[in-house]
Amino acid sequence: MNVLVLIKYSLDVSEIKVDPDSADLLLEGVPRKIGDIDKNVVEAAVKLTADSNSKIQALTLGPLKARDGFRDVLAMGLDEVILIEDPFDGQAESVVAITILEAAIKKITDFDLIICGFASDDGYTFQVAPRLAERLNLPLVSYVSQLSVEDDSLIATRELDDSLQVISVPLPAVVSIAEEAFPPRRTTLMDALKAKDKPVNVWHVGDELDLDLENMTEIGKIETAYQKGVIISRKRNLLKGKTPVELADQLIDALLKENVIKGNE
Amino acid sequence: MSSNTILVFSEKPVIMNELLGAARRQSDDLGWSVSAIDLTGGSEDLGESGADVVYKADTDASNPDEILSLLAAAIQQSQPNAFLIGATKMGLEVAPRLAERFDSGYAAWVVGFKIDSNERFTTAQAMLYTGTGVATYKIKPGFVILAIPPGIFDPVHVSGENVKSVDLEIPQSVSKIKILENKPKQAGESSLEAAKFVVDIGQGVQQRDDLEMMHTVAELLEGQLACSRPIASDRDWFPDWLGLSGAKVKPELCLTIGVSGAIQHIIGIRDSRLIAAINNDENAPIFSQADYGIVADLYEFLPAFIERLKSREIKAV
Repeated sequence: MNVLVLIKYSLDVSEIKVDPDSADLLLEGVPRKIGDIDKNVVEAAVKLTADSNSKIQALTLGPLKARDGFRDVLAMGLDEVILIEDPFDGQAESVVAITILEAAIKKITDFDLIICGFASDDGYTFQVAPRLAERLNLPLVSYVSQLSVEDDSLIATRELDDSLQVISVPLPAVVSIAEEAFPPRRTTLMDALKAKDKPVNVWHVGDELDLDLENMTEIGKIETAYQKGVIISRKRNLLKGKTPVELADQLIDALLKENVIKGNE
Repeated sequence: MSSNTILVFSEKPVIMNELLGAARRQSDDLGWSVSAIDLTGGSEDLGESGADVVYKADTDASNPDEILSLLAAAIQQSQPNAFLIGATKMGLEVAPRLAERFDSGYAAWVVGFKIDSNERFTTAQAMLYTGTGVATYKIKPGFVILAIPPGIFDPVHVSGENVKSVDLEIPQSVSKIKILENKPKQAGESSLEAAKFVVDIGQGVQQRDDLEMMHTVAELLEGQLACSRPIASDRDWFPDWLGLSGAKVKPELCLTIGVSGAIQHIIGIRDSRLIAAINNDENAPIFSQADYGIVADLYEFLPAFIERLKSREIKAV
């Protein structure tokens, strides 16, 4: 079985700071990595194909410098990474990014299953899997926490807001993985050594994918966008008591002073 | 699409009412009408919440493909300028598919929007980087779909006596998905949004039985229990979770216990007047989001806290 996983070299959102005066988002120097959500995606694919003669390819849209960021996921069990150099440096809107991914997937063709995360760690807008399913005219199975393949069908458990749902669907299909559903495996030194020989192939939008960059910007729906950070100003007062009783009294004293509780001083 | 209508849908009645409130206010400004899609048969109620037209349909709501067909049919029939959909898991799954089908503009996690009556472009504010920031988009004129999380807009109440009910024709199903089993999770019932005191429980709490301690704290100060998403979804302890797509609370005091402080969760509590946090990891991000921080083992701190609350006769304000 051939599995195509979609992963992203994402901004580490927890490292994005907000300028307290201008409310600007301070994006410079924020580290990037293969997202935690995407590592769950890789784990799902590796686990699913463990007992069979399978190939797992990863497709990603990102900067060239991401090349060194794939060691972990290659060690986990990917066979190959295809990196499409992102001409928009992560700033393209979803519909444009999808058009690039669609062109690459139509070039790859030999897959039985596409696995994505339910969202990317940084953008977090939940769009890639649903949009791809439409573009490729494939069934969509979202928020999957368990999956297996029987004959030519996929059996999956879907983690929904109000229910757990077990479904079957014929392959090929597009699957999105539920949050924290497949904790990534630890890799060994042997895995890491093997990963060194696995290829990261770079594709270019204008070359391998034969897309016209000027047309690409036309299909976008958003004319202008600007961004501001959300400023949170809290007191950040760490209480210094030595014992639990001391800490409890300090917290009660502080809350009394703030008038959110009442009682004996 | 140009019928001067805003169409609204959420499978969650609470979100439906919030979105209808937003649509009603915007439509009154523009002189437009509001339509809603009803799965539950409560179309009179939707009229009172602000809908002029209610599309009724009977469908298998557990199959996302059936919901998608229904929503697509409603958009075809009502030709709206804008479609507001609740940003639940289901809403976020079907909305981008509709955006593809109708070649529309789309924004997720929308917290504000305005449709320009002359030029017909939409300005939308949307949460960015899981809520670290807010982006303002100017979306090209034409049909637009906005996915809106719970707790953003206030509902309205109108007489609703002129609400018109329309049966929706849905095309024959083409779903390849076969549902083998659908096991409901427990439903939430508490009115967290109105609580003055919230005890917010995170993954630092080890066992379900430990919740008794937190219940005691909540009872002493007349508060309500809430949790982070993994407690509700992975552990299924109780369903009242706070965060980006969960409930958003604004109590006088939010006491977090064993919450690490991921931004997706913080969004649910950041409107609290005061936040106090207990966590045994002094580097946990929650401490930069809190007014008072206590670095301690919750299993040592909470019994002492409960004892001191009792002996000092501390009460809710």
